[in-house]
Amino acid sequence: MPHTDPTILALMALGESAGSARDDEHVAGCPDCRAELTRLAELVQLARQSGPGEPLLQPPPQVWERIAAAAGDGAVAREMPRLAEADSPGRPAAAKPAGPRPSRARRRGRLAAALAGLAAGLIIGIGGTAGVAQLIRSPAPATRIVAQIELRPLPQFPQWQNASGTAVMHATATQQLIAVTLTAPRQPGFYEVWLLARNGVSMISLGDLNSAHTGTFTIPPGTDLRNYSRIDVSLQPFNGSTVHSRISVVRGSLPLAAAGS
Amino acid sequence: MDTAPDEDVSAAFSAGHPDALRLVYERFGALVYNLALRSLRANADAEDVTQQVFVAAWRGRDTFDPARGSLGGWLVTITRNKIADFLRARQRESRVLLQVAGGTAVAAPAVPSDQVVDRLVLADELAQLPESQRLVMSLAFYSDLTHEQIADVLRLPLGTVKSHIRRGLSRLRSRLEADGAAH
Repeated sequence: MPHTDPTILALMALGESAGSARDDEHVAGCPDCRAELTRLAELVQLARQSGPGEPLLQPPPQVWERIAAAAGDGAVAREMPRLAEADSPGRPAAAKPAGPRPSRARRRGRLAAALAGLAAGLIIGIGGTAGVAQLIRSPAPATRIVAQIELRPLPQFPQWQNASGTAVMHATATQQLIAVTLTAPRQPGFYEVWLLARNGVSMISLGDLNSAHTGTFTIPPGTDLRNYSRIDVSLQPFNGSTVHSRISVVRGSLPLAAAGS
Repeated sequence: MDTAPDEDVSAAFSAGHPDALRLVYERFGALVYNLALRSLRANADAEDVTQQVFVAAWRGRDTFDPARGSLGGWLVTITRNKIADFLRARQRESRVLLQVAGGTAVAAPAVPSDQVVDRLVLADELAQLPESQRLVMSLAFYSDLTHEQIADVLRLPLGTVKSHIRRGLSRLRSRLEADGAAH
């Protein structure tokens, strides 16, 4: 019997019930196909554990300027010995050449930095948010992705001022789902996702974020999202309590359009 | 985003082409920077390490052999070494400070684990995929949609979605094997 079609193996690795009973039988008995399936399934597992959040950050433009200056040709290295020392933590300001002659290499570095900055901006603009967030900017008209919102810390919790998050809501034929990612330090306890009503008191618990601070949750059918229009992520202590800890890490509001769908 | 194929970047780098360092930095700068950032958790430190990695790579480009491994994997190794150097230096400093203060040394943060390396390499490669393939892979990974539903949602032919998935998985897997922690 020929080996299982690579496309079927790929779909199997994603957890889809693809292929025929004969394919299943073949994969079970064929070391090559089983090895390939394992290889792909490990990748899928890694991707799903990591989640769509946490896009790579672009290094700031001055990093390239420093690299270009430090790695330049021999003349540059001699002219700016401090910068040329890779192990030196010196900032550019502390490493300016002492001589009165302005450094051409330095100017070239600035231009390079400006160009790199432009390139970096472009990259952030079009490719910096790999993952589901891309969907929102895609022109695909039939998408049932309903909303993407930023989750931000609240002013009354200064300890979370560096936390951030996203929530992407999408709908299938039968359910509404919300994928939440959080960027926040690990803390004792766990992060829990809530839908918060307009009165600020009623809330619905959607579930807990995993160790990668991501999670996808089903919105209970029939939920009035015009009322339960805010998403809240709380830090919950391990005290057995099922109510909101009153420690809100980040929060965001669903657009009305999302509630109407 | 359009960047040169990895093979071209790698070849230009080995040949010492004047623009090669920029190409390499544009292709791998974010990966190196984010590895450092995850380990050191301070922007200035991550910037220093990123600079050290690319300067060291440029000076040591004669020691890079494309036949023995990928450029990305080589840079990941340099990054891990530079992070380890940085942490050792910091630990020395803090030990001195602690001795002055009469305390005992605490464990320094660790170099990035294999899992962190793999996750970042994966995120980096996903970002390199062409737009429509990245959308398909993102939905395949992170939504509950089947490939038929993905085709429906994105209004793509079923065959295109299947081929994006097959090629996407294979490409991501190869990149992980070339540049990831197990390379």
